[in-house]
Amino acid sequence: MLFSKSRKHKVVSTGTAETVARVKGFVVDPATRHVVALMVRKSKQGDTLPWTRISGFGPDAVTVADEAAIGPADEPIAALSGKSNTMLKKQAISSFGDHIGTVTDVAFDGDTGAIQSVLVDGEPVPADRLLGVGSYAVVLEAEPTP
Amino acid sequence: MSRLMRTSEITQRPVVTLAGDDIAQIKDIVYAADGGSVRGFTLAGRGLFSGPLSTVLPWSKVAALGSDAVMIRDEHALTDPAALEAGSARSIGKGGNILGSQVLTDTGTDLGRVVDAIVEVAGGHDQCDVVGYEIESSEALENAGTKVLIPLPDTVAASGEHLIVPASARNFVRKDLAGFGAAVAEFRKQLEGGGS
Repeated sequence: MLFSKSRKHKVVSTGTAETVARVKGFVVDPATRHVVALMVRKSKQGDTLPWTRISGFGPDAVTVADEAAIGPADEPIAALSGKSNTMLKKQAISSFGDHIGTVTDVAFDGDTGAIQSVLVDGEPVPADRLLGVGSYAVVLEAEPTP
Repeated sequence: MSRLMRTSEITQRPVVTLAGDDIAQIKDIVYAADGGSVRGFTLAGRGLFSGPLSTVLPWSKVAALGSDAVMIRDEHALTDPAALEAGSARSIGKGGNILGSQVLTDTGTDLGRVVDAIVEVAGGHDQCDVVGYEIESSEALENAGTKVLIPLPDTVAASGEHLIVPASARNFVRKDLAGFGAAVAEFRKQLEGGGS
């Protein structure tokens, strides 16, 4: 699953079959390399859908048991959801301090939320090289020199 | 992996944590008293209106010095200025006690004036060596008035007014950074072996 392909997914309640919100963005914890929550809009409940409350992340929609899954961001998620923590369109630099390119997309596992790879100018970089996402750049571990 | 860099390119580079945050930028470079290596950096805040910071970045805390950013592990790398003061020369970046110096050979020929310092950055935590200077060449060299690179021995005598290099240094002058690393290595090897 790609960030770019699921950025406008509907959030549908399986209880009422109604669209309760729309996906606006992704909250990533670089330490665990997981999507920890979705930012959503058009819900009166709040703007945050924690990953643990998602029933299913499919190719066409995100499902939740009911709208109560959505709420205001709690402390740890709020700390990761600022503008400086977004990944798309941010520059990528290596841990050696060299510019690599721009993050064009992020691939993740729809079941677990695990980040699989970071796409830099379309080229996938394995997620285990992701070190940080900050105000200046997405930092990727430099490839070991032979 | 090692590479050469002009020190003028390092100033104003952002200081970035491995978490991706730019928490400072390089203001000036602090050299060891003998001028042979970089001890660390003074810092300024990021952004147009932020002034100098009271903390400094010792070389030992630099994770990597790249072409776009100076990488550090986290904000704890920035420390009290006292960490740099012992045994440091005043920075040459701005105060100019090496920039502008006249480069004299030990036989008394003026080679030109220093406009920039060249450092060699190795991987890992080796020291950051000053391996050469960029000078505006005098009549003693071909193409007087152009900028050329001159290698330095391990230790140099510098007074702020003059900088003394062995006369043989002029045989290892290069025009650009490509190939300068080899010239420095050759020059230093010749100094060790020659002994004259």
